[in-house]
Amino acid sequence: MKRFLTPQGVIGFTLIVIIVAIGIFAPLIIPPDMATKMKMTMRLKPPSMGYPFGTDQLGRDIFFRVLLGAHTSLGIAGAAVAISVLIGLPLGIISGYARGALDNVLMRFVDTLLSFPALLLALTISAMLGPSIPNTIIAIGIAFTPFLARIIRGEALRVSAMPYVEAARAAGTNDAAMIWRHILPNVMPLVIVQATISLAFAILAEAGLSFLGLGTQPPNSSWGLMIQASRDYLDVAPWTALAPGAAVALTVLALNMFGDVLRDVLDPRAQ
Amino acid sequence: MTGATAMHPAEGHPIIKVSGLRVEFQTDDGMVAGVKDVSFEIQPGETLCVVGESGSGKSVTSLSILRLIEFGGGRIAGGSLEFARGSGEVIDLAKAEPDVMQSIRGNEIGMIFQEPMTSLNPVFTIERQLTDGLKRHRGLTGEDARGRALELLKEVRIPEPERRLTQYPHELSGGMRQRIVIAMAMACRPRLLIADEPTTALDVTIQAEILGLIDRLKRENGMAVLFITHDMAVVAQMADRVVVMYRGDVVEEGPVRDIFEQPREAYTKALLAAVPKLGEMRDKPAPEPMRILGDETLRSAAPPPTIGTRREPLLTVKNLTTRFPVKGGLMRRTVANVHAVEDVSFQLAKGETLSLVGESGCGKSTCGRSILRLVEADSGEIQLDGWNVRGLSRLDLRHARRDMQMVFQDPFASLNPYRRLLDQVAEPLVNFGLASGSELHDRVAHLFDRVELPRSFLRRFPHELSGGQRQRVAIARALAPNPKLIVADESVSALDVSVQAQVLNLLMELQADLGLSFLFISHDMAVVERVSHNVAVMYLGRIVEIGPRAAVFENPRHAYTRSLLDAVPIADPARRRPHDDRSFRPLSSPIFPVGAPVEPSSYDEVAPGHFVLRPLAAA
Amino acid sequence: MTYLLNRLFSIVLTLWLISVITFAVTSILPGDVAMMILGTQSNPTALAGLREQLGLNDPLVAQYGRWIGGMLTGNFGHSLVFKEPIADLMAQKMKASALIVVMSMAIALICAVPLGVWAAVHRKKWQDTVSSSAALFGISLPDFFWGIVLILLFARTLGWFPSSGFTDPSVDFLGAIRHAFLPSLALGLGLMAHLTRVTRSTMTGILNQEFIRVARAKGLSEKSVVWSYGLRNAVGPIMTVAGLQVGYLFGSIIVVETLFNYTGMGWITYQALLNRDVPLIQTSVFFIAAVVMLTNFVVDLLYLLVDPRIRMQ
Repeated sequence: MKRFLTPQGVIGFTLIVIIVAIGIFAPLIIPPDMATKMKMTMRLKPPSMGYPFGTDQLGRDIFFRVLLGAHTSLGIAGAAVAISVLIGLPLGIISGYARGALDNVLMRFVDTLLSFPALLLALTISAMLGPSIPNTIIAIGIAFTPFLARIIRGEALRVSAMPYVEAARAAGTNDAAMIWRHILPNVMPLVIVQATISLAFAILAEAGLSFLGLGTQPPNSSWGLMIQASRDYLDVAPWTALAPGAAVALTVLALNMFGDVLRDVLDPRAQ
Repeated sequence: MTGATAMHPAEGHPIIKVSGLRVEFQTDDGMVAGVKDVSFEIQPGETLCVVGESGSGKSVTSLSILRLIEFGGGRIAGGSLEFARGSGEVIDLAKAEPDVMQSIRGNEIGMIFQEPMTSLNPVFTIERQLTDGLKRHRGLTGEDARGRALELLKEVRIPEPERRLTQYPHELSGGMRQRIVIAMAMACRPRLLIADEPTTALDVTIQAEILGLIDRLKRENGMAVLFITHDMAVVAQMADRVVVMYRGDVVEEGPVRDIFEQPREAYTKALLAAVPKLGEMRDKPAPEPMRILGDETLRSAAPPPTIGTRREPLLTVKNLTTRFPVKGGLMRRTVANVHAVEDVSFQLAKGETLSLVGESGCGKSTCGRSILRLVEADSGEIQLDGWNVRGLSRLDLRHARRDMQMVFQDPFASLNPYRRLLDQVAEPLVNFGLASGSELHDRVAHLFDRVELPRSFLRRFPHELSGGQRQRVAIARALAPNPKLIVADESVSALDVSVQAQVLNLLMELQADLGLSFLFISHDMAVVERVSHNVAVMYLGRIVEIGPRAAVFENPRHAYTRSLLDAVPIADPARRRPHDDRSFRPLSSPIFPVGAPVEPSSYDEVAPGHFVLRPLAAA
Repeated sequence: MTYLLNRLFSIVLTLWLISVITFAVTSILPGDVAMMILGTQSNPTALAGLREQLGLNDPLVAQYGRWIGGMLTGNFGHSLVFKEPIADLMAQKMKASALIVVMSMAIALICAVPLGVWAAVHRKKWQDTVSSSAALFGISLPDFFWGIVLILLFARTLGWFPSSGFTDPSVDFLGAIRHAFLPSLALGLGLMAHLTRVTRSTMTGILNQEFIRVARAKGLSEKSVVWSYGLRNAVGPIMTVAGLQVGYLFGSIIVVETLFNYTGMGWITYQALLNRDVPLIQTSVFFIAAVVMLTNFVVDLLYLLVDPRIRMQ
C-alpha cells in the first residue's frame, strides 16, 4: 500500500477519480442545453468569465462540451478495453497454460494481427461496420485484443513454469482448479496494469477515430470530434482545439501516471 | 614499478585496515544500516575470511572497500578504510576522490564476484574484457595487451587460451568463466584481492579447482586476500584468520584454528555446530539429527530408525529413462536428445532415506520429477507400494499422488504468493476430498503444529514468512494427504545453515514418527552423509554408484564418486586438503543425436548392496 | 542457413495470413459496398449492376482467389475513387510515407537514447524526474494534437515550414524535407517520449547487472561503463522496440498525414476508407501490414549482428 503513495501515484489516482466522476455525473447534473445551445452571436469567442474555455463555431460553450465529452470518451474507451480483456484474457491464459499445437496456432494468428497497426485495424473495422458509438467500441476492442492476448500469454507461460504450479500439480490439482486458483490470480496484476495502460491508448484511439470522422458521430459529442470540428478555425480560434486536446492529454497522462506506479508495485517482472 | 618488488610495503603496515566502518542505505523505510561497526586488518600474503549468514553485511563490507556500494544506493557513514598503496603511501579509501578510486580499482585492488554467469559482459569478447583494464591502468595497447591477456589465461590454467580470446562468455562453462573473472581481477597484479562468494554458484569439483587457484595465485604473488563466504567448510579450507559477522556487526575475530576449536561467542558456536562435517558419520550405523546448540536433549530423544532387519521396499525404479528433445531445423524436428535420466534403477525401503547426489545437470532432479510423473519418462518401470506409476491413467495418477509428495528447492517460488497458507496446505486435502469444513481447518491446524509453525500463520500470506518458515509450510503441504514417499529436491539448499539444520531435523523427526520414505535429492555431500540410509551417485544421467551410506562414503569405488568426495571442503582447518587447480574433467555432455546407440547400465556388486557402474564402451 | 530458410518460410506464411485477415476484415463484415458507393437512396437495378460488376455476388473464396491471384501477377486492380492502377498509387504513396517514418524515427532515436541513458544514470535524482516527467507527458498527447500545436507554432506563427502538402523528393529534395518535417516531428515527439522510457528502463536494468559492477571493479571510468559496457547491451532491446513502433507509426500516419494533407499511405488509406474504395482499402491495408511485418523481420536479423548469444543458435 505504501508504495502506491508516491506523488505520481497520488496525483494520477486523484485525477482519474475526478475525471471519472465528471464522466459519470456531468450528464446528470448539467442540463443538456448548456452544451448544445447555439448562439450565432457568440461564435468563436475566446475564453472569458462567462465562457471559461470560449465558444465554438456554433456559439456553444466549450467548457460544458468538454465536461460532457468525458462521458462519451471514457465510456467508449472503458467498454473497448473491457472487450479486449474479455477476449484476450481467456485466449492468453489458455494459450500460455496449454502450450503445444493450440498455442502455436493461436499465437501465429495473434502475431499476424500484430502486424496491423491498431489504429488502422480499428479504422478499417469502424469504416466497414459504419461509424457509430457501439461500432467504435467494437473496432477499438478488437484492435487492442491481439496485444493483450500476447502479453497475457507470456505471463501465463511464466506463471505456469513456477514451482508452486508444479507443487499444486503434485498435490492433485486439476487443470480448471489450477487456472482458477494459481494461474489467474498471478496473472491478474499484469492484466490490471496493462488494462490501465490500454485505457490510455483507447482514449487516444477514440480521439483519433473521431478526429477522422470514423468514430463518434454528431449529434453525440466526444473530445476527438470537438478537435475535428476545430480544424477549420485553428487560425482564428485555437482554443477550440486546445481545450478538448488538453482534456485528452490530462486523462491519458493521469492513466499513464497511475499505470506506471501500478506497474512498479504489481508487475512481477518490474521488480 | 609493477610486479613483485612493489608488493612489500614498509614493515608492519597492513595492506588494508578497516576501522569502525558504518554503511547506510536509503530505503523507503528510511535509513538502514547495512554494516554498523566493522574493524579488521589484512597483512600481505594473508587470507582473511569474512563469514556470516544472509543479511550479515559481509558483502556490503567488501563492496565498501572498493566504494562500489555507492552505486547500489549505499553510503559510507563512518569509519576509515586505510589502504597501503604500492607507492608506500597510505590512503583512506572512504574519503578518496572518484578518480583516485578508479585508479585503484582493478589495479591495486581486484575483485571476484559470485555469479560467473552474469559477471562477464555478454556482448564483448573475452579479449576485450581482459585487456580493457590493462589498457587503462598499464597503458598497454594492441599486441602487448593481447600478449598479457594470453599470459593471464595461462596463469589461471584455461585450456586452449588462444581460442578463448576470440570467444564470447556464453560459449564457456561456468567454471571457465570464473577463471576468466579471476584473470581479469589479477590483470594488474593487485595488492589486495577481494573474493565475494566466488564459488557459491559452482559445483563442488569446480569449487575445489577455483579455491586451489585462488590459493596458488595468493602464494605466487604475495597478495592479501579478503574472502567473503557463508560456507564454514570453505572458511576452514582457505582462511588464515576469520571474521564472523552477524547483522552488520563483527561477532568474533581470530586465527582460523582458534575460531574452529575454541569459539568464544555463542553465535559462532551455534554456527559451527550446525555445519555437518564430511566424515564425521564414520562408524555410525544410522542417520543422526543435526546438532543444534542448546537443543540437544530435545532432538536426541527421537532418533531416526536404524535399518531394520525386515526391509520392505516402497519404491522400485527399473531402467528409468527420461530424455528431452532438442528441436531444430525447418519443421522443428527433433535433432538430438538430452539424456537427462538414462537407465536408472534403484529401490527405496519403507521408512528409509535414499539420497540422489550429483552435480548440476546430472539428472537427479529430473529423476525425482519423473517418479512423480511431473515430467513423463520415456521408458522404465516405477512401482510405488502396489501402484504401477507409469501405467496410471490421469485419474488414477491423481489418486496415486496421495502417496507421493514433493518438497521443492526454492521456498520463495514454491508457494503461491496470492493464497493464504491455510488454503495452500489444504489444497491436497480438498483435491482428494479428504476433508471439508471444520474438519479441514482442524487437519491443517494440526499439520501446522506438526511442522512447528504457530496456528496464527494459517491466515497469513507467504511474503510474511521467512525462508525457513516457508519451507515448513511446503513440508506441511506435502504431509497433508498422508503420503508414504516424499521427494525432497534440494529442499534445504537455499536456507542458511542454522535454519537448514532445523528443517533437516524436522524431516528426520517426521520420518521416525510417520515411517516416511525420503528420496533426498542434494548436491551437498556432508548433509547427505548425515541424513541417508542409502546413497546413489549420479553422473550424466546414470547412477554410477549406489549402496549403503557407509559403503559409498567410506569405500567409494567409482572414480567419479572419489573425485566428488575429494573435492568436498571439510569444516575443519585441521583437515585441509590441498587442491590441484587444474581442470582435468573431460568435456562430456548428456546430449546425443537421435538414434545414437545407448548402452544399458550394468553394475558390479562390490559388496552386499553396493553396486558400481561398469565402464561404458562409448565413454 | 536453416535459420534463414526457416524465417523465409515463416514470412511467406505470415504474408498469406495477412492477406486472409485483410480480406476477411474488408469483406465479411456487414455493410453493402455497392450501396456505400452509390448511396442509400440509389435505385435497385443500378445497385445490382454494380454488385455484378464488382463480383460481389461470387462466393467469398472466389473473390479472395481473384484478389490474391491478381496481386501475385502484379495486377492490383483499379482504384474506384482515384481511377488509377492501384500498383502506381502504392509505389508513390509508400515512398512518401517512408520518408516521414524514417525521419520521425531518426528524430526520436537521436533524442531518446541520450535522454533515456541520462535518466537511468541519475535514477531517482532530479535529472530522472525531469526526463521521465517530460516523457510521460509526451506519450500522453495524441499525435494530431502535436500536429495542431506544430502547425500553429511553426507554420502559422513563425512561418518556417509549410503546414500542408507533399513534394516528391526525386523532384525537389529540399522541398520534400521541408514538407515532411512537421509531420515527422508530430510523429517523432510521441515516439521520442516512448523510446526515452524504454531506454531508461532497459538501461536501469542493465546498470544493475553484475557485469557492470565488474566493469567498475576493473577501474573503468563511468563514461565507458555506461556508454560502452551498458549501452552496447541496450542496443538490441531498444532496436526491437523501435522496430515494433514502426507498426505504431504506420497507424499514426493516417491521422498525421490527413492533418498535414501529406499524400502518403496514411492519407490514401483514409481516402479509401471514407469512400469505401474496397479494392484500394484491401491493397493498402495489406501493404501496410506487410511492410510492418518485414520491418520487424529486418530488425530480428539486425539483432543477430548485435547479440552474439543469439547468433550462436
